[in-house]
Amino acid sequence: MKSRFLFPFWFRYLGTALFLVHVPFVFFKRPPDPVDAQHIADNTLFNNGHLFFMATTLLMAVGLFFIAFAKEKIEDEQISQLRLDSLQWAIYLNYFLLIIGLILTTDTEHILFLNLMVPLFFFIVRFRWVIFKLNHSLPKEG
Amino acid sequence: MGDFQAKPFTAKGGIAMKNNIRVERAIKNITQGELADLVSVSRQTINTIESNKYVPSTVLALKIARVFGKPLEEVFVLEEGD
Repeated sequence: MKSRFLFPFWFRYLGTALFLVHVPFVFFKRPPDPVDAQHIADNTLFNNGHLFFMATTLLMAVGLFFIAFAKEKIEDEQISQLRLDSLQWAIYLNYFLLIIGLILTTDTEHILFLNLMVPLFFFIVRFRWVIFKLNHSLPKEG
Repeated sequence: MGDFQAKPFTAKGGIAMKNNIRVERAIKNITQGELADLVSVSRQTINTIESNKYVPSTVLALKIARVFGKPLEEVFVLEEGD
């Protein structure tokens, strides 16, 4: 079965690597000090804060994207069925959280960030989980 | 999220699809894995089809029937549901 618009299998490892690279950045390297009055006023594109944000967020998003849309070892029709199914769940959850977030907070910046993370993250978790269950239910074969 | 993909494939009126893949495999003496290779899907897919959790596409069903050298209706059967 032909599946279009999917990355080769090894993109899963590339994606994991990108995602792992972004983690220490976020934890150990703070963005440039925002207390500095100049930085607060500095709203131009490509200032330090923007570059940092761009680098980390892009690493994370692209990493998750590669993991999510890399081919399975055997990409058959059932896998694409599960893929679509998980994608649907992810979108449902995303919009549910988005609506809840819009009603309950005014913090639009973090809502946006959540919106960036949730679909990919939940999709990956759900997709892996269903495949895990599938493999688990598989009887041993002599 | 319960038992995966059991519901969407039961058509209205409670008609479900059953199959004789397990029996046909026994006759031909091939394993799930070998059948999976012959029709180029994963063993999981063959397993879920056998246990009626997944309904294959028409193309895959025809391929499976061809492996057993039987018409489609002898391998896959419509059945009144419970």
